[in-house]
Amino acid sequence: MNCPIKTHENTDWLLDYSAGKLNADRTTLVERHMETCPDCARFVEGQRAVWSALGRWEPPAVSADFNRRLYQRIDRARPASWLERLFRPLQPLWRPVVPLAAACLLMIAGVALHAPEPALHRNSSQARIESIEPEQVERTLDDMQMLRELALTPQQEQTTPKPM
Amino acid sequence: MPQRVNGVMGAAAALDYDAELMLRVKDGDGASFALLLEKYRASVTHFLYRMVQEQAVSEELAQEVFLRVYRSRETYEPTAKFTTWLFRIATHLALNWLRDQKNERGQERLDESVEDAPTREVADRSPSVEQSMVHRVKVEEVRRAVAALPEKQRAAVLMHKYEEMEYSQIAKVLSCSESAVKSLLFRAYETLRVRLAHMA
Repeated sequence: MNCPIKTHENTDWLLDYSAGKLNADRTTLVERHMETCPDCARFVEGQRAVWSALGRWEPPAVSADFNRRLYQRIDRARPASWLERLFRPLQPLWRPVVPLAAACLLMIAGVALHAPEPALHRNSSQARIESIEPEQVERTLDDMQMLRELALTPQQEQTTPKPM
Repeated sequence: MPQRVNGVMGAAAALDYDAELMLRVKDGDGASFALLLEKYRASVTHFLYRMVQEQAVSEELAQEVFLRVYRSRETYEPTAKFTTWLFRIATHLALNWLRDQKNERGQERLDESVEDAPTREVADRSPSVEQSMVHRVKVEEVRRAVAALPEKQRAAVLMHKYEEMEYSQIAKVLSCSESAVKSLLFRAYETLRVRLAHMA
Protein backbone atom coordinates (compact mmCIF):
# COMPACT_ATOMS: atom_id res chain seq x y z
CA MET A 1 0.00 0.00 0.00
CA ASN A 2 1.32 3.46 -0.94
CA CYS A 3 1.41 6.05 1.81
CA PRO A 4 -1.83 8.05 1.52
CA ILE A 5 -0.23 11.15 2.97
CA LYS A 6 2.79 11.17 0.69
CA THR A 7 1.00 10.12 -2.49
CA HIS A 8 -2.47 11.55 -1.76
CA GLU A 9 -3.88 8.22 -2.90
CA ASN A 10 -6.56 6.52 -0.87
CA THR A 11 -6.79 9.37 1.60
CA ASP A 12 -10.39 8.31 2.13
CA TRP A 13 -9.11 5.03 3.55
CA LEU A 14 -7.45 6.93 6.37
CA LEU A 15 -10.57 9.03 6.94
CA ASP A 16 -12.83 6.00 6.95
CA TYR A 17 -10.42 4.04 9.14
CA SER A 18 -10.41 6.90 11.69
CA ALA A 19 -14.21 6.95 11.65
CA GLY A 20 -14.38 3.16 12.02
CA LYS A 21 -16.11 2.82 8.66
CA LEU A 22 -13.45 1.00 6.63
CA ASN A 23 -14.08 -2.59 5.57
CA ALA A 24 -12.05 -5.42 7.08
CA ASP A 25 -9.67 -5.99 4.15
CA ARG A 26 -8.66 -2.36 3.89
CA THR A 27 -8.45 -2.02 7.65
CA THR A 28 -5.78 -4.74 7.68
CA LEU A 29 -3.84 -2.92 4.95
CA VAL A 30 -4.02 0.45 6.73
CA GLU A 31 -2.98 -1.01 10.06
CA ARG A 32 -0.05 -2.81 8.48
CA HIS A 33 1.01 0.42 6.77
CA MET A 34 0.75 2.45 9.98
CA GLU A 35 3.15 0.13 11.73
CA THR A 36 5.89 1.55 9.52
CA CYS A 37 4.47 5.03 8.84
CA PRO A 38 4.39 7.43 11.81
CA ASP A 39 2.86 10.20 9.64
CA CYS A 40 -0.21 8.12 8.90
CA ALA A 41 -0.41 6.96 12.51
CA ARG A 42 -0.31 10.60 13.64
CA PHE A 43 -2.91 11.49 11.04
CA VAL A 44 -5.29 8.83 12.32
CA GLU A 45 -4.76 9.90 15.92
CA GLY A 46 -5.45 13.55 15.06
CA GLN A 47 -8.41 12.64 12.89
CA ARG A 48 -9.98 10.65 15.70
CA ALA A 49 -9.61 13.67 17.97
CA VAL A 50 -11.31 15.89 15.37
CA TRP A 51 -14.06 13.34 14.90
CA SER A 52 -14.65 13.25 18.62
CA ALA A 53 -14.55 17.06 18.94
CA LEU A 54 -17.09 17.45 16.14
CA GLY A 55 -19.31 15.01 17.96
CA ARG A 56 -19.56 17.41 20.90
CA TRP A 57 -21.23 20.08 18.82
CA GLU A 58 -24.97 19.61 18.89
CA PRO A 59 -27.31 22.10 17.24
CA PRO A 60 -30.35 23.54 19.03
CA ALA A 61 -33.64 21.69 18.76
CA VAL A 62 -35.94 22.62 15.92
CA SER A 63 -38.75 25.00 16.95
CA ALA A 64 -42.01 23.35 17.90
CA ASP A 65 -44.00 25.43 15.41
CA PHE A 66 -41.75 24.59 12.44
CA ASN A 67 -44.39 22.47 10.68
CA ARG A 68 -47.18 24.98 11.32
CA ARG A 69 -45.12 27.80 9.81
CA LEU A 70 -44.14 25.63 6.87
CA TYR A 71 -47.72 24.62 6.07
CA GLN A 72 -48.75 28.28 6.31
CA ARG A 73 -46.12 29.10 3.71
CA ILE A 74 -47.28 26.23 1.55
CA ASP A 75 -50.86 27.50 1.76
CA ARG A 76 -49.75 30.99 0.80
CA ALA A 77 -47.80 29.57 -2.13
CA ARG A 78 -50.81 27.48 -3.26
CA PRO A 79 -51.75 28.25 -6.87
CA ALA A 80 -54.95 30.30 -7.24
CA SER A 81 -58.20 28.68 -8.38
CA TRP A 82 -59.63 29.49 -11.83
CA LEU A 83 -62.17 31.83 -10.20
CA GLU A 84 -59.44 33.75 -8.40
CA ARG A 85 -57.43 33.93 -11.60
CA LEU A 86 -60.49 35.16 -13.51
CA PHE A 87 -61.13 38.04 -11.14
CA ARG A 88 -57.50 38.86 -10.48
CA PRO A 89 -57.24 41.56 -13.23
CA LEU A 90 -60.26 43.30 -11.73
CA GLN A 91 -58.88 43.28 -8.23
CA PRO A 92 -57.24 46.72 -8.43
CA LEU A 93 -60.61 48.13 -9.49
CA TRP A 94 -62.94 46.55 -7.01
CA ARG A 95 -60.57 46.35 -4.09
CA PRO A 96 -61.04 50.01 -3.01
CA VAL A 97 -64.77 49.75 -3.70
CA VAL A 98 -65.30 47.08 -1.08
CA PRO A 99 -64.42 49.18 1.98
CA LEU A 100 -66.32 52.10 0.49
CA ALA A 101 -69.43 49.99 -0.01
CA ALA A 102 -69.06 48.58 3.48
CA ALA A 103 -68.85 52.11 4.89
CA CYS A 104 -71.96 53.16 2.96
CA LEU A 105 -73.85 50.12 4.20
CA LEU A 106 -72.85 50.91 7.75
CA MET A 107 -74.04 54.47 7.38
CA ILE A 108 -77.38 53.36 5.92
CA ALA A 109 -77.80 50.82 8.68
CA GLY A 110 -76.97 53.46 11.25
CA VAL A 111 -79.47 55.89 9.83
CA ALA A 112 -82.13 53.19 9.64
CA LEU A 113 -81.60 52.14 13.21
CA HIS A 114 -81.44 55.58 14.73
CA ALA A 115 -83.97 57.51 12.60
CA PRO A 116 -86.99 58.76 14.71
CA GLU A 117 -89.47 57.35 12.19
CA PRO A 118 -91.71 55.41 14.58
CA ALA A 119 -92.07 58.48 16.78
CA LEU A 120 -93.07 60.59 13.79
CA HIS A 121 -95.67 58.06 12.80
CA ARG A 122 -96.99 57.93 16.30
CA ASN A 123 -97.20 61.72 16.54
CA SER A 124 -98.88 62.11 13.19
CA SER A 125 -101.53 59.50 13.97
CA GLN A 126 -102.04 61.03 17.36
CA ALA A 127 -102.42 64.43 15.75
CA ARG A 128 -104.83 63.00 13.21
CA ILE A 129 -106.84 61.42 16.01
CA GLU A 130 -106.75 64.65 17.90
CA SER A 131 -107.97 66.64 14.90
CA ILE A 132 -110.71 64.14 14.11
CA GLU A 133 -111.92 63.69 17.68
CA PRO A 134 -114.11 66.85 18.16
CA GLU A 135 -115.93 66.26 14.90
CA GLN A 136 -116.58 62.66 15.80
CA VAL A 137 -117.82 63.61 19.24
CA GLU A 138 -120.06 66.24 17.74
CA ARG A 139 -121.43 63.83 15.17
CA THR A 140 -121.95 61.18 17.80
CA LEU A 141 -123.87 63.64 19.96
CA ASP A 142 -126.01 64.58 16.98
CA ASP A 143 -126.70 60.95 16.26
CA MET A 144 -127.67 60.32 19.84
CA GLN A 145 -129.99 63.30 19.78
CA MET A 146 -131.58 62.06 16.62
CA LEU A 147 -132.08 58.59 18.05
CA ARG A 148 -133.59 60.02 21.16
CA GLU A 149 -136.03 62.03 19.09
CA LEU A 150 -136.92 59.03 17.03
CA ALA A 151 -137.52 57.02 20.13
CA LEU A 152 -139.75 59.68 21.65
CA THR A 153 -141.93 60.28 18.64
CA PRO A 154 -143.83 56.85 18.61
CA GLN A 155 -144.36 57.05 22.38
CA GLN A 156 -145.97 60.44 22.02
CA GLU A 157 -148.09 59.05 19.18
CA GLN A 158 -149.20 56.15 21.42
CA THR A 159 -150.04 58.32 24.46
CA THR A 160 -151.99 60.95 22.54
CA PRO A 161 -155.80 60.06 22.69
CA LYS A 162 -157.57 59.61 19.41
CA PRO A 163 -160.22 62.20 18.71
CA MET A 164 -163.72 60.82 19.04
CA MET B 1 -49.92 3.18 -5.77
CA PRO B 2 -50.18 4.18 -9.42
CA GLN B 3 -48.58 1.99 -12.08
CA ARG B 4 -46.47 4.87 -13.40
CA VAL B 5 -44.80 5.28 -10.04
CA ASN B 6 -43.83 1.62 -9.90
CA GLY B 7 -42.40 1.83 -13.40
CA VAL B 8 -40.26 4.86 -12.70
CA MET B 9 -39.11 3.46 -9.41
CA GLY B 10 -38.01 0.22 -10.99
CA ALA B 11 -35.88 2.12 -13.46
CA ALA B 12 -34.21 4.69 -11.27
CA ALA B 13 -34.19 4.60 -7.51
CA ALA B 14 -35.90 1.35 -6.76
CA LEU B 15 -34.47 0.98 -3.29
CA ASP B 16 -34.94 4.58 -2.25
CA TYR B 17 -38.12 4.56 -0.20
CA ASP B 18 -37.92 8.35 0.14
CA ALA B 19 -38.04 8.75 -3.62
CA GLU B 20 -41.10 6.52 -3.59
CA LEU B 21 -42.71 8.77 -1.00
CA MET B 22 -41.84 11.79 -3.11
CA LEU B 23 -43.54 10.21 -6.11
CA ARG B 24 -46.62 9.79 -3.98
CA VAL B 25 -46.41 13.47 -3.09
CA LYS B 26 -46.26 14.11 -6.82
CA ASP B 27 -49.55 12.22 -7.11
CA GLY B 28 -51.12 14.50 -4.51
CA ASP B 29 -50.51 12.49 -1.34
CA GLY B 30 -50.00 15.07 1.39
CA ALA B 31 -49.41 12.40 4.04
CA SER B 32 -46.26 11.26 2.23
CA PHE B 33 -44.96 14.81 2.28
CA ALA B 34 -45.64 14.93 6.02
CA LEU B 35 -43.63 11.70 6.42
CA LEU B 36 -40.67 13.12 4.50
CA LEU B 37 -40.86 16.32 6.52
CA GLU B 38 -40.91 14.38 9.79
CA LYS B 39 -37.99 12.24 8.68
CA TYR B 40 -35.69 15.00 7.44
CA ARG B 41 -36.78 18.15 9.29
CA ALA B 42 -34.14 17.80 11.99
CA SER B 43 -31.24 16.70 9.78
CA VAL B 44 -31.84 19.45 7.22
CA THR B 45 -32.26 22.13 9.88
CA HIS B 46 -29.19 20.94 11.81
CA PHE B 47 -27.09 20.80 8.66
CA LEU B 48 -28.16 24.34 7.83
CA TYR B 49 -27.52 25.47 11.40
CA ARG B 50 -23.97 24.15 11.25
CA MET B 51 -23.52 25.84 7.88
CA VAL B 52 -24.87 29.30 8.75
CA GLN B 53 -24.57 29.08 12.57
CA GLU B 54 -27.72 31.10 13.26
CA GLN B 55 -30.78 29.26 14.48
CA ALA B 56 -33.45 31.57 13.06
CA VAL B 57 -31.74 31.65 9.68
CA SER B 58 -31.25 27.89 9.62
CA GLU B 59 -34.97 27.33 10.27
CA GLU B 60 -35.94 29.87 7.67
CA LEU B 61 -33.69 28.19 5.11
CA ALA B 62 -34.93 24.73 6.12
CA GLN B 63 -38.50 25.91 5.52
CA GLU B 64 -37.44 27.15 2.13
CA VAL B 65 -35.92 23.74 1.38
CA PHE B 66 -39.16 21.91 2.14
CA LEU B 67 -41.20 24.54 0.36
CA ARG B 68 -39.07 24.00 -2.74
CA VAL B 69 -39.45 20.25 -2.40
CA TYR B 70 -43.22 20.66 -2.25
CA ARG B 71 -43.32 23.10 -5.15
CA SER B 72 -41.16 20.83 -7.29
CA ARG B 73 -43.31 17.77 -6.66
CA GLU B 74 -44.98 17.91 -10.07
CA THR B 75 -41.70 17.85 -11.96
CA TYR B 76 -39.90 15.47 -9.59
CA GLU B 77 -38.14 12.50 -11.17
CA PRO B 78 -36.19 10.03 -9.00
CA THR B 79 -32.95 10.28 -10.94
CA ALA B 80 -30.88 10.30 -7.73
CA LYS B 81 -31.36 9.45 -4.09
CA PHE B 82 -33.95 11.68 -2.46
CA THR B 83 -31.46 12.84 0.18
CA THR B 84 -28.99 13.86 -2.53
CA TRP B 85 -31.65 16.10 -4.04
CA LEU B 86 -32.76 17.37 -0.62
CA PHE B 87 -29.25 18.27 0.52
CA ARG B 88 -28.44 19.75 -2.84
CA ILE B 89 -31.26 22.24 -2.31
CA ALA B 90 -30.16 22.84 1.29
CA THR B 91 -26.50 23.34 0.35
CA HIS B 92 -27.42 25.64 -2.51
CA LEU B 93 -29.54 27.80 -0.19
CA ALA B 94 -26.88 27.86 2.52
CA LEU B 95 -24.09 28.78 0.11
CA ASN B 96 -26.25 31.53 -1.39
CA TRP B 97 -27.06 32.90 2.04
CA LEU B 98 -23.40 32.84 3.10
CA ARG B 99 -22.39 34.55 -0.11
CA ASP B 100 -25.01 37.27 0.43
CA GLN B 101 -23.88 37.72 4.01
CA LYS B 102 -20.28 37.99 2.93
CA ASN B 103 -21.23 40.62 0.42
CA GLU B 104 -23.25 42.55 2.97
CA ARG B 105 -21.19 42.35 6.11
CA GLY B 106 -17.92 40.66 5.34
CA GLN B 107 -16.58 37.83 7.36
CA GLU B 108 -16.92 39.39 10.81
CA ARG B 109 -20.22 37.62 11.57
CA LEU B 110 -18.42 34.32 11.88
CA ASP B 111 -16.24 35.77 14.58
CA GLU B 112 -19.09 37.05 16.70
CA SER B 113 -19.53 36.09 20.31
CA VAL B 114 -21.00 32.90 21.69
CA GLU B 115 -24.30 34.61 22.53
CA ASP B 116 -25.04 35.22 18.87
CA ALA B 117 -24.64 31.59 17.98
CA PRO B 118 -26.52 29.52 20.51
CA THR B 119 -25.37 25.98 20.88
CA ARG B 120 -26.94 23.08 22.63
CA GLU B 121 -24.40 21.10 24.45
CA VAL B 122 -24.31 17.46 25.21
CA ALA B 123 -25.25 17.29 28.83
CA ASP B 124 -22.97 15.34 31.10
CA ARG B 125 -24.67 13.32 33.81
CA SER B 126 -23.80 15.69 36.61
CA PRO B 127 -21.38 18.25 35.30
CA SER B 128 -19.79 20.67 37.68
CA VAL B 129 -19.74 24.36 36.82
CA GLU B 130 -16.12 24.01 35.78
CA GLN B 131 -16.83 20.98 33.58
CA SER B 132 -19.73 22.80 31.95
CA MET B 133 -17.57 25.81 31.23
CA VAL B 134 -14.80 23.68 29.75
CA HIS B 135 -17.35 21.91 27.61
CA ARG B 136 -18.80 25.24 26.42
CA VAL B 137 -15.37 26.50 25.48
CA LYS B 138 -14.59 23.31 23.56
CA VAL B 139 -17.87 23.43 21.68
CA GLU B 140 -17.24 27.06 20.84
CA GLU B 141 -13.80 26.18 19.51
CA VAL B 142 -15.28 23.48 17.32
CA ARG B 143 -17.91 25.90 16.06
CA ARG B 144 -15.30 28.50 15.18
CA ALA B 145 -13.03 25.96 13.53
CA VAL B 146 -15.87 24.72 11.33
CA ALA B 147 -16.98 28.28 10.59
CA ALA B 148 -13.49 29.16 9.44
CA LEU B 149 -13.47 26.43 6.79
CA PRO B 150 -14.12 27.48 3.20
CA GLU B 151 -17.85 27.01 2.53
CA LYS B 152 -17.58 24.01 0.22
CA GLN B 153 -15.20 22.23 2.59
CA ARG B 154 -17.57 23.01 5.44
CA ALA B 155 -20.54 21.54 3.57
CA ALA B 156 -18.52 18.44 2.70
CA VAL B 157 -17.41 17.89 6.30
CA LEU B 158 -20.92 18.35 7.66
CA MET B 159 -22.40 15.91 5.18
CA HIS B 160 -19.59 13.42 5.80
CA LYS B 161 -19.52 13.62 9.57
CA TYR B 162 -23.12 14.33 10.61
CA GLU B 163 -25.20 13.02 7.72
CA GLU B 164 -22.85 10.06 7.11
CA MET B 165 -23.16 10.49 3.37
CA GLU B 166 -20.99 8.55 0.96
CA TYR B 167 -18.36 10.33 -1.12
CA SER B 168 -20.36 9.75 -4.30
CA GLN B 169 -23.44 11.35 -2.76
CA ILE B 170 -21.52 14.36 -1.46
CA ALA B 171 -20.01 14.71 -4.93
CA LYS B 172 -23.47 14.85 -6.48
CA VAL B 173 -24.67 17.41 -3.91
CA LEU B 174 -21.65 19.62 -4.54
CA SER B 175 -21.64 18.98 -8.28
CA CYS B 176 -18.06 17.77 -8.40
CA SER B 177 -16.20 14.52 -8.85
CA GLU B 178 -15.78 11.92 -6.13
CA SER B 179 -12.01 12.40 -6.11
CA ALA B 180 -12.53 16.16 -5.71
CA VAL B 181 -14.69 15.46 -2.66
CA LYS B 182 -12.04 13.20 -1.14
CA SER B 183 -9.44 15.86 -1.68
CA LEU B 184 -11.79 18.52 -0.28
CA LEU B 185 -12.42 16.44 2.83
CA PHE B 186 -8.78 15.59 3.32
CA ARG B 187 -7.82 19.28 3.27
CA ALA B 188 -10.74 20.25 5.50
CA TYR B 189 -9.91 17.64 8.13
CA GLU B 190 -6.27 18.63 7.96
CA THR B 191 -7.22 22.22 8.80
CA LEU B 192 -9.48 21.03 11.60
CA ARG B 193 -6.73 18.80 12.99
CA VAL B 194 -4.39 21.78 13.23
CA ARG B 195 -7.02 23.97 14.88
CA LEU B 196 -8.38 21.37 17.23
CA ALA B 197 -5.18 19.46 17.94
CA HIS B 198 -5.03 20.70 21.54
CA MET B 199 -8.42 19.15 22.26
CA ALA B 200 -7.14 15.61 21.83
